[in-house]
Amino acid sequence: MKIDRDEARRIADLAHLEFEDAALDRMADEMTKILGYIDQLNEVDTSGFEERAADEATPMRADEPRPSLDREAVAKNAPNWKDGFFVVPKVIGD
Amino acid sequence: MTDVLDLPFTEARAQVSPREYVDACLSAIDRTDAKIHAFLSVARDANEGTLPIVLKDNIAATELPTTCASPILRNYRSPFDATAVARLRTRGASIIGKSNLDEFAMGSSCEHSSVGPTKNPWDTTRVPGGSSGGSAAAVAARMVPAGLGSETGGSVRQPAALCGVVGVKPTYGRVSRWGLVAFASGLDQIGVVTKTVREAAEVLGIIAGHDPLDSTSSTHVVDDYATDLDTGVKGMRFGVVREAIEKLEGEVRANFDTAVAVLRSCGAIVEEVSVPTIGYAIAIYYIVANAEASANLSRFDGIRYGHRSDRAKTLEEVYFESRGEGFGAEVKRRIMLGTFALSSGYYDAYYGRAQRVRAKLRHDFDVAFGSYDFLITPTTPESAFEIGAKTDDPLSMYLNDIFTAPANLIGIPAIAVPSGFDKLGLPLSLQIMAPHFAERAMFRAAAAYERETNYWKRRPPLT
Repeated sequence: MKIDRDEARRIADLAHLEFEDAALDRMADEMTKILGYIDQLNEVDTSGFEERAADEATPMRADEPRPSLDREAVAKNAPNWKDGFFVVPKVIGD
Repeated sequence: MTDVLDLPFTEARAQVSPREYVDACLSAIDRTDAKIHAFLSVARDANEGTLPIVLKDNIAATELPTTCASPILRNYRSPFDATAVARLRTRGASIIGKSNLDEFAMGSSCEHSSVGPTKNPWDTTRVPGGSSGGSAAAVAARMVPAGLGSETGGSVRQPAALCGVVGVKPTYGRVSRWGLVAFASGLDQIGVVTKTVREAAEVLGIIAGHDPLDSTSSTHVVDDYATDLDTGVKGMRFGVVREAIEKLEGEVRANFDTAVAVLRSCGAIVEEVSVPTIGYAIAIYYIVANAEASANLSRFDGIRYGHRSDRAKTLEEVYFESRGEGFGAEVKRRIMLGTFALSSGYYDAYYGRAQRVRAKLRHDFDVAFGSYDFLITPTTPESAFEIGAKTDDPLSMYLNDIFTAPANLIGIPAIAVPSGFDKLGLPLSLQIMAPHFAERAMFRAAAAYERETNYWKRRPPLT
């Protein structure tokens, strides 16, 4: 599997990662090399084996209200916080 | 004069007070860490304790930052303790500091730390391994008697091997992941680094057990791991994984063959066994782990905590530029690979296939454990490599985890025990893998081997 710059750009957009063109080319080359190694999985006959075992379900807890994090403690880590809210750039147009 | 940090817990506690034990760690850090760079933060006012311990800096403790060695969490301080940390505190532990790691635990050398690498105490031009290289180096260099690390593909055992200390990866679900920053949630597990097997058994006994805050933590009863450490391995069955050792040559092979002879001299039955798919572990790992990582790391978006780019004007720019500035090259590489493997059109060919091969690997291990109590390999294919030797070649770095990654993919426990030194004086290590929740037997086997060899008593020349 060869990853070119356009494909790398498509993946970077999905992953919300910003790259300069040169860094993206380097990333595409490295991904091509690593996926080349991963392609050896195609040698394995996996008939009779499923993607997910039947006993692998994650146990769920009861959905009950519990104490949550202290707001002041949360605010201390926030990059921008005002009046009990996270502040973000405006997302709705004029 | 004996250095109290050369002793296992029990002997140290008999010699010094809990205050003196902790102070001995703090002064050892002052003397030694400038040469090693194992610590990212030190708790200068640490409480007295009978169990001084360092935490890998992706495990949360409220009094210190939790940075994951990443610019995106440079100023992050967790509002809560990890469950493992809370349990340690109730049992007399003292948190001495936080240790270096590859950014977000992604790496095998600590060279992917954004604040510079940790050095191997046996040769400071070499890597300590990773990603829990800081905890392993801190214990090896006699700065602290114990450390917590985390494992996704060998990140406790591999650095323990390269630093000549004991490293344990418990069964998946044995230790709560609450407060461990997520990398690949289906593989991640907190592990332990100590000088001796008995100390590792003590620490794991404290942190193991069900936690309502982690629904994947197991309700399986926690054994008393110390009970039969002196029982020996007479009549126990060890399988040597043929596919792991058949291409091994040189000192690593000779060292492993010697370890097999030691086990036989203790009365163990040691035979070769085939695990045909074991060689595919790294290929499976880099799809499954990175797929999970790409989803887990989407939480770092510059909104609620962590770095937010000053350049960002729009919400979209907050996401792209905060992540672009805040993640290092290796983290981006893994997010990209994981995003690719899960993306429309490639999911079945990559993620689905990797999961099916993983199911076959699990089957192969089940068959082998049908005939053997333990499976053994060297912990790593080579001793500590030089700083910079593999940084330009991600794939060769990944292959350092070839013997450790299978245990994570299957969820079984495994332990790395020092098995001697190569001609350069660098540590080598024996890996013992056991079936799910067979930690007690695993510790028994490791203790029997350790008692015959006692490599833990050798101290790095540096200190």
